[in-house]
Amino acid sequence: MTTKDIGPKNPVQKGADATIDFVDERSGVKTGTRWFLFRNIPEGTSWFQTLGFTAMVVFGMQAITGIILAMYYVPDTQGGAYKSIEYITNEVTWGWLVRGMHKWGASVMIIVVFLHMARVFIWGAYKYPRELTWVTGAMLLLLTMFMGLTGYLLVWDQKAYWATVVAVNIFASAPILGPYIGDILRAGPEFGPATLSRFYSIHMLVIPGAIATFIGLHLYFIVRLGISEPPWSKRRLRIERDEEDARRAAAREKAKALPGSVNYPASWPVEAEEATR
Amino acid sequence: MKPADKKAYDKDYAQAKKTGKPFFPYAIYKDTIIAGLTVIATIILAITVRAEVGEPVNPATTDFVPRPEWYFYFAFELLKIFKNQDALTPVIMATFMVPNIMIILLVVWPFIDRGPERRIWKRPFALGMTVIVTGLLCYLTWMGANSPAGVASQGLPLSGLDEQATKGMDVYMANGCGSCHMVAGVGAPGPGPDLTNEGAKGWDNAKMIAWFKAPKAPMPSYASLPPEDLENLATFVNGLGTKYK
Ligand code: HEM
Repeated sequence: MTTKDIGPKNPVQKGADATIDFVDERSGVKTGTRWFLFRNIPEGTSWFQTLGFTAMVVFGMQAITGIILAMYYVPDTQGGAYKSIEYITNEVTWGWLVRGMHKWGASVMIIVVFLHMARVFIWGAYKYPRELTWVTGAMLLLLTMFMGLTGYLLVWDQKAYWATVVAVNIFASAPILGPYIGDILRAGPEFGPATLSRFYSIHMLVIPGAIATFIGLHLYFIVRLGISEPPWSKRRLRIERDEEDARRAAAREKAKALPGSVNYPASWPVEAEEATR
Repeated sequence: MKPADKKAYDKDYAQAKKTGKPFFPYAIYKDTIIAGLTVIATIILAITVRAEVGEPVNPATTDFVPRPEWYFYFAFELLKIFKNQDALTPVIMATFMVPNIMIILLVVWPFIDRGPERRIWKRPFALGMTVIVTGLLCYLTWMGANSPAGVASQGLPLSGLDEQATKGMDVYMANGCGSCHMVAGVGAPGPGPDLTNEGAKGWDNAKMIAWFKAPKAPMPSYASLPPEDLENLATFVNGLGTKYK
């Protein structure tokens, strides 16, 4: 009675295991994934700490819906752009839904990113050692706003067109660099076909690339430094209470040592607090 | 933060991590729920409030309110706050100084506020900033949402208009000037200045036409209007408050 092979019998599973081991040996994905997923985070992380991840997911949604829109959109100022938007909205199967999601997704992303920033600010989560996480985040906020600005023009309807003319004029009015920025955005001195192509490529190549890069940096910092603990987590409150107790005890000792303070109800504060605990 | 504070923080955080829980599944499940709800909310919005297609672009007429997306209303309102007859300094304030100061503050904030305290109620300055900036953004966005749209259809309550000025007023109306300017109480209160007394400046038509063709931001250029329209428009605007009241 000899026992031989103790691995799985199923050749498919055997093959899969062998493949994973092969890849892991060379890339370390298994170890890496495990390290990423099973790293410890402080206990009591809150629901407010889900907003960054949500921003990331909404960005992913914008990327997917945006790619689908790009399959039909034509950046043509002679009516082509406008017609292609009409076509997507009225003809393409689910086109109205994809466009609607992309349009609303923009507003949702701005709101989510803003709320995320507010939570980081209120928690003081940008303080040592997370200053650079904040700086990359600030870049992400500006880039997200820029996405909204450049995307608005692509529909090429009156409202978007004139709003964008005004917005670009504002950039162009800045001292020194302004005129150059204006020319770069417009692709020349005037609004025209080249402007639309330029906005299109900025909107779907330049800024998404920059956002993906900064999300990568942002995540690197977050994983490296660890997600911060709520400043009012149970653990923190316990520590603060202990510190407070210690301080009071010390004050009491001091009060006892002072002559003339015999009637001071020395043990009162701590005992009263202990009773309510 | 002083080196001692940093050390204390590192030690405290290491402790928090040691007694903590694994990211998966402890945090990721919350993330998934909130992200999922957000995506569902977006889909519901897309289904109930459908994206529309507006009027096609016609660069020859600005018979339109140049309205940005709601998340830029605050910038738009800023323009109105700083508007003035002599547009230079105030507009630079609204379009350049204020936004750039805000952006720089945003980026360098962690290097300004470096104390070890993280509880918001013990950081009165940060708390004040949160309240003021959030309040201001909400207020300006709300103002932007409620600002009157174009009022071109109402006509202007002016008298003394001759033939050329009447034509000029039509050009003014057709090109949506009233969506940024006010004349005799009709039109939008900004971002452009009130033009009720524009004639008092005493500009001649050539100067006014030059302005229409190459105005200061954020006003768009009207270089594409026919010369006749520009002439009539200049006559009309140069008489405002003097000949036409
Ligand atoms: C596209 C935009 C953004 C994405 C995708 C993003 C993503 C994330 C994610 C996934 C986290 C992990 C913790 C959490 O979810 O709260 C995080 C944390 C953080 N984010 Fe962002 N973020 C964005 C924008 C911003 C902005 C605008 C700021 C601030 C100006 C910022 C500053 C930070 C900081 C300082 C942390 C670390 C907080 C901590 O450890 O408690 N992020 N971000």
